[in-house]
Amino acid sequence: MATKVIMPKQGLQMTEGTIISWLAAEGDTVKEGDPIFEMETDKLTIEIGAPAAGTLLKIVRGEGDVVPITETIAFIGEAGEDISDLLAELESSSESDETGETEPAEAIAESGAGGPSGPVAESSAPAATTEQAAGGSRATSDGPFYSSPRARWKAEERGLDVQALAGSGPEGMVIERDVLAAAENRPKATPLARIHAAESGTDLSSVEGTGPRGKIYRRDVDAAAAGTAAAGGAEGGRMFAAIPREDRSIPLTGMRRTISARMRESLDTAAQAVHRIEVDMSETVRMRERLKAAEVKVSYNDIILKAVAESLRTHPRMNSVLTEDAIIEHGRINIGVAVALDEGLIVPVLRDADLLTLQGIHSETRRLAELARTGGLSQEDYQGGTFSVSNLGMYDLDSFTAIINRPESGILAVGAIKEKPAAVDGELVIRPLCGLSLTYDHRIIDGAPAADFLRSIKTLLENPYLLL
Amino acid sequence: MSKKKYSAAIKDVIAEEMRADSSVFVMGEDIGALGGVFGCTRGLQQEFGKERVRDTPIAEAGYVGTGIGAALTGMRPILDFMYLDFVYVAMDQLLNQAAKLRYMYGGRASLPLVIRGQQGIGRGNAGTHSQSVEAFFTHIPGFKVAMPSTASDAAGLLRTAIRDNNPVMFIEHKALYATSEEVPDDPEFAIPFGQAAVRRQGKDVTIIATSLMVGRALEAAEKLAAEGIEAEVIDPRTLLPLDLDTLLHSIEKTGRAVVVHEAHKNNGVGAEIASQIMESGFKYLDAPVVRLGAKPCTLPFSLVLENAVVPGVEDIHTAAKQVCYK
Repeated sequence: MATKVIMPKQGLQMTEGTIISWLAAEGDTVKEGDPIFEMETDKLTIEIGAPAAGTLLKIVRGEGDVVPITETIAFIGEAGEDISDLLAELESSSESDETGETEPAEAIAESGAGGPSGPVAESSAPAATTEQAAGGSRATSDGPFYSSPRARWKAEERGLDVQALAGSGPEGMVIERDVLAAAENRPKATPLARIHAAESGTDLSSVEGTGPRGKIYRRDVDAAAAGTAAAGGAEGGRMFAAIPREDRSIPLTGMRRTISARMRESLDTAAQAVHRIEVDMSETVRMRERLKAAEVKVSYNDIILKAVAESLRTHPRMNSVLTEDAIIEHGRINIGVAVALDEGLIVPVLRDADLLTLQGIHSETRRLAELARTGGLSQEDYQGGTFSVSNLGMYDLDSFTAIINRPESGILAVGAIKEKPAAVDGELVIRPLCGLSLTYDHRIIDGAPAADFLRSIKTLLENPYLLL
Repeated sequence: MSKKKYSAAIKDVIAEEMRADSSVFVMGEDIGALGGVFGCTRGLQQEFGKERVRDTPIAEAGYVGTGIGAALTGMRPILDFMYLDFVYVAMDQLLNQAAKLRYMYGGRASLPLVIRGQQGIGRGNAGTHSQSVEAFFTHIPGFKVAMPSTASDAAGLLRTAIRDNNPVMFIEHKALYATSEEVPDDPEFAIPFGQAAVRRQGKDVTIIATSLMVGRALEAAEKLAAEGIEAEVIDPRTLLPLDLDTLLHSIEKTGRAVVVHEAHKNNGVGAEIASQIMESGFKYLDAPVVRLGAKPCTLPFSLVLENAVVPGVEDIHTAAKQVCYK
């Protein structure tokens, strides 16, 4: 009997994974534990080992496919083994009735691909930033999310994402009746049909099902999607009809989906206003040179982080979160440091940045950036930020505007340090200047205190010995 | 079947068990010539004589100790408490002796002992004659605790209690003695301990009620039904052992529970039942389990105030709607 290779669950919140590449080909002999494919979730990229020894008989999900957890992606067995039954079973299970064994798969499809892409749920106060899984979407935006145990149970049974539902209980808690109402209103469709609908952006309620009792099959979704495309093409694109220029479809993988939801949620929620300031970095440059001469290695970014940490300590409102009925000024200063990745970005957190020395900040940011690039960050490393700093100086930007990393209330965007003409004491001189841009949440921080915070950073950077 | 009052059902079972087993006898205050303040032993002394229906001095610790000794040496005493409030006088005998002797003797002693009497409100008997004592006996390991809410249950459970080889707290209710219903005539009619009774079927909320509160819960269920809420009313009948399965089975269906007893709410049996529901049936719950019980004050003398202190039909009705988010 051949062994199924399934999309493994690699984290509590994981609902789906993307197959990046197959490391073994059909017909290859593999040992148990041999890496056979590489996958990516919203948090990590990882090689997965073979669940059993044998021959890789058949790969059923290809590279680039987004696959819900527990779904079969390949079979391993004895060379020449007949797996036509298993393949038939796989095909039929994706088109079988909604009851029975197909429920778990359905549940995953619903929460992963089919759920409405509302903002991401916030857990209490400063925790939880980029790690929120894609499935954690929900209907309302602010405050914590509650659901009764029974609602979760009933939702799981019916393959619904409880977090995507609007709650009618106290404090918006999702209770049983909300789940039952949602289940009642949902079009009946196979798990595969839901995935195809999500991928093609087809609204299932607009699709006519050809299955028993109007159940929607994959072919119905594909037909509906093709119909929409055809209609659009006929109307708009006659001139270019002869030139084959196909769109490229990039699956919305975990991390992209999370960023996408979180950025939208941030702009939808916070009242984002921006202050800009230009800092004369002469003294900072001088100090860094002297430290370097003394064989103490620190980067400009480390010095800026230190200045931010100090200023957050004197301006606690910048280090706060807005809850339903209070502004919580965080006791600890944990600065998120945005790190660009090939396919997205992640914001590891420099914990207790105000307590670290410059060298401490240097080694910790180096460690976090390295882990971020190799996909080795643990949950600890990117949770609990209270303020963020994004530095794109290396791209030669004068300055830029960043979007707040919710639930934080401010983010500092750091531009390049460039030699520019400056007027000093009535004379035109050349100075290394750096553009800082602070995005803050005007719901809780007004213009003047935000400006004072920015000026505090400027003062520290222009007198950097205060940081030592 | 014969239609009987709750008090008569108890008297009849005692008489039948005494006829069937000569080791069964009764001790207590004013049970002989008077036949008990509530008539639960009326006529027994005439039939069985003063040796087997023994009037005692007003010395609860003394006759409980005597009963324990008798039980240890092979008799099956039924100790009558005119008011269960008086068990507090005999607590050392009950909690330090009766509850523990089988354990202390390494399982080689058995203690077929029934402590029965009435408790609760209904007569304006005030603070030291209206209390509910069950929580003390469910807390200390060693007792079984039964709380019949109907005449038929009183008969069936009392027979099981008398035939049990362990101490049983048999808790009756003064306000139920005058209620009547059809009771099986079969002298072997017995209700096993640990079997709850579903008094009314419903799908929306489970109301778990004991003793006097069962009737009030059923009344509340009527009102709820008129408003479109179908309440399931369950009477555990015995608190130890507790039929958790029946409760969970119901809550799996309804998702909501209200636990109501006449005893004080704070640290009461309702807290234990609610906890067990949460420990074993958390995923079924759509709302926090609500407890109802007497307010934390001494039971008053005034009949009006009695009912202001313990849960009433309206309280149960409100709580049930609350857990249904209505």
